[in-house]
Amino acid sequence: MPKHYRPAGKKKEGNAAKYVTRSQAVKGLQVTLPLFRKMCIWKGIFPRDPKKKIKGNHQTYYHTKDISFLHHDPLVDIHRDIRAQDKKIKKAYSKKNKPRAVRLEEHKPTYNLDRLIIERYPRFIDALGDLDDCLTMVHLFAALPTLQNEKVEVKHIHSCRRLSHEWQAYISRTHKLRKTFISVKGIYYQADVDGQKITWIAPHSIQQVLTEDVDFNVMLTFLEYYETLLAFVNFKLYHSINVKYPPMLDPRLEALAADLYALSRYIASRSKEQDNHELASQVDESQLTLAQLQHQLAPSEPGALMHLIEEAETVDEADEETKECRSLFKDTKFFLGREVPREPLLFVITAFGGTISWEGDGAPFEESDPSITHQIVDRPTQNHMFLSRAYIQPQWVFDSVNARIILPTEDYVVGRVPPPHLSPFVDNEAEGYIPDYAQKIKQLQDAARIMPVPEVGNEHQDNTQNIVLDGVADRIEANKAAEMKKKMSAGQKQFHDELKMEVEGVSPATGTIKNVKVTTDPDESDKEQISEHPDMSEMTMSRRKRGLYESIRINKERKKAKVDVIESRKRNIKESQK
Amino acid sequence: MELKVSKKATMATTKKKNSKKEKPENTKEIPKNTEEKKNTKKEGKDNKNLQKNKKEKKIRSSLQKIKLRDVEEEEKAPKNSKEYTEGGDSEHTSGDEVHVNAGGVSSNGTIVARAGSDANTSANDDEDNSYHSAEESDSSEDEVAPRNTVGEVPLEFYRDEEHIGYDVTGKKIKKKERKDQLERFLSSVDDKKSWRRFVDEYNDEEVELTKDEIKMIRRIMKGKTPHAEADPYAPYVDWFDWEGKGHPLSNAPEPKRRFIPSKSEAKKISKYVRAIREGRITFDKPKEKPRFYLLWGDDSSSSEKTRGLSYIPPPKAKLPGHEEAYNPSLEFIPTQEEINSYQLMYEEDRPKFIPTRYTSLRSVPAYDNFLRERFARCLDLYLCPRVRKKRLNIDPESLKTKLPEPKDLKPYPTTCYIEYKGHTDAVVTISTESSGQWIASGSTDGTVRVWEVATGRCVRVWEVGSDIRHVAWNPLPHQPILAVSVDQDVLILDTGLGSEEQQGKIRDLLRMEKPTAESGEAAIVSWLPDDKLGGLRLKHFKSVTSIEWHRRGDYLSAVIPAGESRAIMIHQLSKKGSQRIPFKLHGLPVSTAFHPSRSIFFISTKKNVRVYDLLKEKLIKRLDTNLREVSCIAVHPGGDNMIVGTREGKLCWFDMDLSSTPYKVLKAHSKDITNVAFHRSYPLFASCSEDGKAYVFHGMVYSDLNKNPLIVPLRILQEQKGKGVLDCKFHPRQPWLFTAGSDSVIKLYCH
Repeated sequence: MPKHYRPAGKKKEGNAAKYVTRSQAVKGLQVTLPLFRKMCIWKGIFPRDPKKKIKGNHQTYYHTKDISFLHHDPLVDIHRDIRAQDKKIKKAYSKKNKPRAVRLEEHKPTYNLDRLIIERYPRFIDALGDLDDCLTMVHLFAALPTLQNEKVEVKHIHSCRRLSHEWQAYISRTHKLRKTFISVKGIYYQADVDGQKITWIAPHSIQQVLTEDVDFNVMLTFLEYYETLLAFVNFKLYHSINVKYPPMLDPRLEALAADLYALSRYIASRSKEQDNHELASQVDESQLTLAQLQHQLAPSEPGALMHLIEEAETVDEADEETKECRSLFKDTKFFLGREVPREPLLFVITAFGGTISWEGDGAPFEESDPSITHQIVDRPTQNHMFLSRAYIQPQWVFDSVNARIILPTEDYVVGRVPPPHLSPFVDNEAEGYIPDYAQKIKQLQDAARIMPVPEVGNEHQDNTQNIVLDGVADRIEANKAAEMKKKMSAGQKQFHDELKMEVEGVSPATGTIKNVKVTTDPDESDKEQISEHPDMSEMTMSRRKRGLYESIRINKERKKAKVDVIESRKRNIKESQK
Repeated sequence: MELKVSKKATMATTKKKNSKKEKPENTKEIPKNTEEKKNTKKEGKDNKNLQKNKKEKKIRSSLQKIKLRDVEEEEKAPKNSKEYTEGGDSEHTSGDEVHVNAGGVSSNGTIVARAGSDANTSANDDEDNSYHSAEESDSSEDEVAPRNTVGEVPLEFYRDEEHIGYDVTGKKIKKKERKDQLERFLSSVDDKKSWRRFVDEYNDEEVELTKDEIKMIRRIMKGKTPHAEADPYAPYVDWFDWEGKGHPLSNAPEPKRRFIPSKSEAKKISKYVRAIREGRITFDKPKEKPRFYLLWGDDSSSSEKTRGLSYIPPPKAKLPGHEEAYNPSLEFIPTQEEINSYQLMYEEDRPKFIPTRYTSLRSVPAYDNFLRERFARCLDLYLCPRVRKKRLNIDPESLKTKLPEPKDLKPYPTTCYIEYKGHTDAVVTISTESSGQWIASGSTDGTVRVWEVATGRCVRVWEVGSDIRHVAWNPLPHQPILAVSVDQDVLILDTGLGSEEQQGKIRDLLRMEKPTAESGEAAIVSWLPDDKLGGLRLKHFKSVTSIEWHRRGDYLSAVIPAGESRAIMIHQLSKKGSQRIPFKLHGLPVSTAFHPSRSIFFISTKKNVRVYDLLKEKLIKRLDTNLREVSCIAVHPGGDNMIVGTREGKLCWFDMDLSSTPYKVLKAHSKDITNVAFHRSYPLFASCSEDGKAYVFHGMVYSDLNKNPLIVPLRILQEQKGKGVLDCKFHPRQPWLFTAGSDSVIKLYCH
């Protein structure tokens, strides 16, 4: 039987049977394209790349199993019902039967996506691993303008804001934040939850502009799913630290747009309460009203956050890194200026164990509090200055957090251009280029490791810093000396080699015989061979391996070219400065 | 109210009682019919109940069937009977006690109150007694005779009489003396149990209820079953189920009304519907469940993935580098020139992100593309086909094959020691004398030169004219003859380098009286003495590209890549004759080689190499290179291996014992390989190419047949760039290599 012939009744096989194009899928499912798109987004179904594209290269292919997976989902039926109901409503309106239309609208079929989430992420870890996009999206929508008549409903924006704050509150409460980075795009955060590295971007606290060239239907479909996912994830996380979800917030703080602070207070109080309850009789938690909560926590109580931190110390399950993060800003007390973006700093500083207040209503303590050690300011000049505290720019916090040490504040003083902000996500060694400031930070880190900063009061802060700096300076000097020595010895060796060459290298040249090259130094010839050897062994490789080797080499070269460009720029800058 | 309830209860129990009464009677009848009379009697009480079971079955089926089943029934019997008796017992007792409760109240004649003496005994004893009596005879009530027999006559009728009624014998029952109110009160105060006591007007006696009876009354008042242990919701056993039994209880057809929707109900429903629509009936809102709950309970139980198809997680977004910072260090910011140069690039190659620097956080503006980038990511997530690609995280060094160190494989030629200068044009070909004392070279300047190897002195020069293709020394050490292919001729020259005796022999060999003109061959080759150069001239019909001596030094093969059958000629020096090879050639021949020890002949065409046995005159083997164009071949001195150089710069090593395909293909040169050579004694071979390089390899062939040859590239001998190396030959004794370049210089590389 020829290969191309398939007897009647025999099913297709191979790629032709396994994959269908999108239009075939839509036709087979008997749904509209928008609904198909929605279902794909919610169920996490993506096109696949068949080895043999039966219908041509320009088509997108879905696996038939994926499509049948869609086909069996009850959501498809619910959406059909909704469509039918919409038609009825339209008809009722057009027949001027408003009560019927209203009634029909009330009884529109509803759906939720809970089931899909457990279906897509059978384990909690899976959900955490896929949370990057979700968090970025939620943080983006939290920053969109809440305008009526826009494409995005206000309730979405509010829920996103709430969810993002809940997430941040959890992260900062459990000190799981690891890296932060202020980029032009926004602020990158990286947290480590259950061993999963979760990275997200929060846009700068300036309102985003809605652009025209974005299809909000797609975005909102994603958002709907992400909101549900994040809410369930938050529930699970809050459950793991014995806090009730959804949290009830102090309405006063909420009104002052200090949601995050309110939330962290709530969590702190809740987990404390929980402990009390476990010790004493079990009281039904739901009976505690908001009023009780407010009564329990007088808003002016400054120690609430401190309690939070003290309490966190009792948790013994924390790993080394968490402990390190928790105690970074333990002895520091921050005050934010009016012009400083409050939310990111509130998040970051509390995540690393600091105490914080700000200018404005609802602040835990006043600017005149003498125990404040750092005031974060982002203005050209500061008029009135307390001598007891350091006035720094916000970047100091982010740099310190990334370096995991308290950096000296001199470079970050008000009115100065701060040192370059470095990405904590880059492995400098692997990249091949280490910026100067990274080296400096490395030295400071080493210094801190050698000589841990004694825990002293605020008034000694400067002294300790000086000591640290002195240590660093010593180290740098020592390094330089070592380098010099190395250079010297290298020079001496070269000299000796040259001498040797001169002594032995003379050879008689007679007639047409010509000494092209004389290898006197056995080391040298060996080196030469080694340098030539790689090229030779490449010859004996198989073709596949050689291609691979070649591509690796090309990649390396490309990387090196980039580094070279950066280094040449640096040289130019240095020259122009001279 | 209390009375009512109790009455109902008693009614119910009595009914039960009655039905039970009948059953044992029936059972008694059945054994008479059956033959198992004796068995049933032996088993006694319990068996009676079993009989009851049997009876019911008998009602349903015929007697014969029962006979067959009897054996099975007996086996099952103990279980069934036990259960049944337990149930039965409780029913019996309940029956009794209810009588007590309601004794005086009900007017039912059959129910008789317990005697006063009975009432005083403890409840437990009572029960025990009652059931014994019940078991012995079914009508336990009969024994305790009702005192009063007035029946339904209202007691008011006897209000003024001395008696309250008549006993069984018809005698008057005298009224007892009543205590007066005060006395009764006093006694009630003293006695704690007084509240449990009441006067039975009917029998004119005082009754005291036990605690259990009180409890029972309470239960009845609450509407529960009188006995706590009775299960009102016991699974229903449909004794009258006829399905599958063959006989329905009723054969009446289903009435039609069961298939027709009820009109009255429809009316009612439409009324309700209207009311609901108009809002006259409102429902309670369903209780709101918490929107979010613990979705992931215990993760340990759930499997990895439930879906059949492999899930490919989306790739994570790229993490930002230093240059994306709001305040990157200056070297990351491109200069204006560089930014301008981006405009010249293709759109795809242009960097997507140009770093900018803001000196303070407050001056950072909102990022315009944020929304757009997120949208692009969303599109990627649901529109991009995902493919799992293996990321190779390997050390490039591990890709390299493990080879022995070149320095362990010494000696091999490494450095150029002597340059032989004298030719004025590219040296096309060289040849080493078998003793290793001399080399001969042919150049495009039309001269053939002989050099002394050790000194670099040019010993002899022949002006041959026109282009020289090949020179070859005779392999015999005592016959220093040189064969030179010049255009259409092959010259055999006497070099005059041997001793006197040898010279004489050579002169004899090369002497030829007259041109031989044999028929047939004459058209192809004609042997002529060449007086000018002092040797022989073999005239061919077309240009000869390559010549090769046989190891004995008598035969000489010449390749003329034009003629079909006359493409390869074999000349015999001693007989001064030529002959064609007796094989059919496939394609144009490129070069030939003699086997170093046996009478085997190799001919390479552009595609493949054919191996012929000269004695048997037949093809032994065909070696396929699978490469484009063969340019040269060389045979290993062992004779089982050979290398083939091609015009695409690849070198094939054939192990002829192993297979007809290359054992190894080495991509060494970037241009045509011009020549390849084996060393006669050292495990070395070399190749040279037009790209100006000569490679030296270590090629060890083991005598052990199981061991594959070891090939190690050792050295690249770099000539001047842009000038190809046209020939390479090894020194016959030393591990030295001669190369002839197009820069008219011959070089000697020594170890």
